[in-house]
Amino acid sequence: MISLRGVSLLYPNGVRALDDVSLEIAKGEFVFLVGHSGTGKSSLLRLLYRETRPTAGDITVDGIRVDHLTSMRVPALRRHLGVVFQDFKLLPDKTVWENVAFAMQVTGAPTKDIMRQVPRALDLVGLSHRSRMYPDELSGGEQQRTAIARALVNNPKILLCDEPTGNLDPANTTEIVDLLLRINLKGTTVVVATHNQAVVDRMRRRVVRLDNGKITTDKERGYYYLGLGQSQVLSG
Amino acid sequence: MDWGRVKFFLGEVGRSFTRNTVMQITAIGTVAVMVTLLGAFLFIRTTLADLGNGVLEQIEISAYLDPNVTPQQVAALRAAFKADPRITSAEFIPKSEGLKELRERMRGVVDTSLLTQNPLPDKFRIRVRAPELVPAVAADLHRLNGIGNVVYGQALVERLLRLGIVLRRIGMVLIGVFLIVAGIIISNTTRLAVYARRREIAIMQLVGATNLYVRMPFICEGLIDGLIGAIAAIIVLGVARVTVWPRMLEALPFVQFNAAVVDLPSLVLQLLLVGGIVGVLAAWISVGRYLQT
Repeated sequence: MISLRGVSLLYPNGVRALDDVSLEIAKGEFVFLVGHSGTGKSSLLRLLYRETRPTAGDITVDGIRVDHLTSMRVPALRRHLGVVFQDFKLLPDKTVWENVAFAMQVTGAPTKDIMRQVPRALDLVGLSHRSRMYPDELSGGEQQRTAIARALVNNPKILLCDEPTGNLDPANTTEIVDLLLRINLKGTTVVVATHNQAVVDRMRRRVVRLDNGKITTDKERGYYYLGLGQSQVLSG
Repeated sequence: MDWGRVKFFLGEVGRSFTRNTVMQITAIGTVAVMVTLLGAFLFIRTTLADLGNGVLEQIEISAYLDPNVTPQQVAALRAAFKADPRITSAEFIPKSEGLKELRERMRGVVDTSLLTQNPLPDKFRIRVRAPELVPAVAADLHRLNGIGNVVYGQALVERLLRLGIVLRRIGMVLIGVFLIVAGIIISNTTRLAVYARRREIAIMQLVGATNLYVRMPFICEGLIDGLIGAIAAIIVLGVARVTVWPRMLEALPFVQFNAAVVDLPSLVLQLLLVGGIVGVLAAWISVGRYLQT
């Protein structure tokens, strides 16, 4: 579903965000991308939805060669992807319903599809009862669930999440992670970049660790700090 | 027709349009001022050109024949004039008639009875299709066999023609400057609108809206700015045509301006087109720049 081969990303300011990264993610997988801030997690996600292009290497997402994609064809790629951010990126002057519908409206979806799919997405994230509220009337967790509903409303095969729980308290974090898991169980491939150790260690999913732009570990049912004992983790 | 889609789109345009009213009014006002100046200029230019043409249309060329021209040469000249598509009429005036005309013209000015013999040669009186052809035709006539002197209001024709060219050039420059100024203001308005909506744009791009779709509301906004500005200008011009124009004619009684020569529907259409095109182009370029960065 997602494949990176020998991918490097060098920013114009000379920062090497990714260094010869190769990674395969199969359909229906749930993958955590972990590492300290600035180790290239976000850069890797940005490459997948073609916000940036790699300096070297091949990237394929859902059969599309993303590294070669012209600007004209980027919209087609993004309709296959859902993307969720730490800061939710909701529109404050639109209601929950309108925020979710927006993703379909601006891609020219027919009204009858919008009327069918928006309630379904809101139901999935458990926000049907909040659909008329504005983002600033919602809790952080509810805002993020709105963002997830928006990311899912076009039925993408892949959901990319960049620090989805970064702005949330532990209770809301659990709620969001459980939601992502349910989405994954329905068959959507989910990639989550996070530095929330508790989440990663509780879930025991595939963990890909980036350090200074290189993949240092890639383990099924991994921990945030692989090879370190729990006590060392807590003290370090 | 999916009315839900249309409604959403119009809602987006309206939202964008009303977000920055002050800037919107500035843009519309600038377009209105520029289009008013442009319209006034076009109007005056047309009437001035008409005035010049009125004079020019009466210009005729007198081609005097050599005194010893043969009837065969005269026949050949007639044929040559007939064959020339630029020449609309060529009337042969024998010298006796020429003298009669001269006497007619000089009556009371000069005592023509003093003329004991006819000093005039025979001539052709030639009219051409368009005033700007006069100098060239005259030069060609000069080269024909049997023709001596060729006379037309050289200085007047050339001055009027040059005036026409100068007016046209000034017009081009003015129009260019107007449009650039209006374009810059609209493009700034668009830039502000784009900036105000950068979050929406980012989300649109994230969920896979095409660039055209992202651009469309801004383009429509530019179009609306341009059209409203042009309509305001047309109203101002219409009022001026009724109130200021008659007074101007009174103030300049010696100039025979004729406003009827201005094709008003076509002028209105031109001004609307100019406003609309400037609006669309400026907005298009401005959004395009933003989307590329």
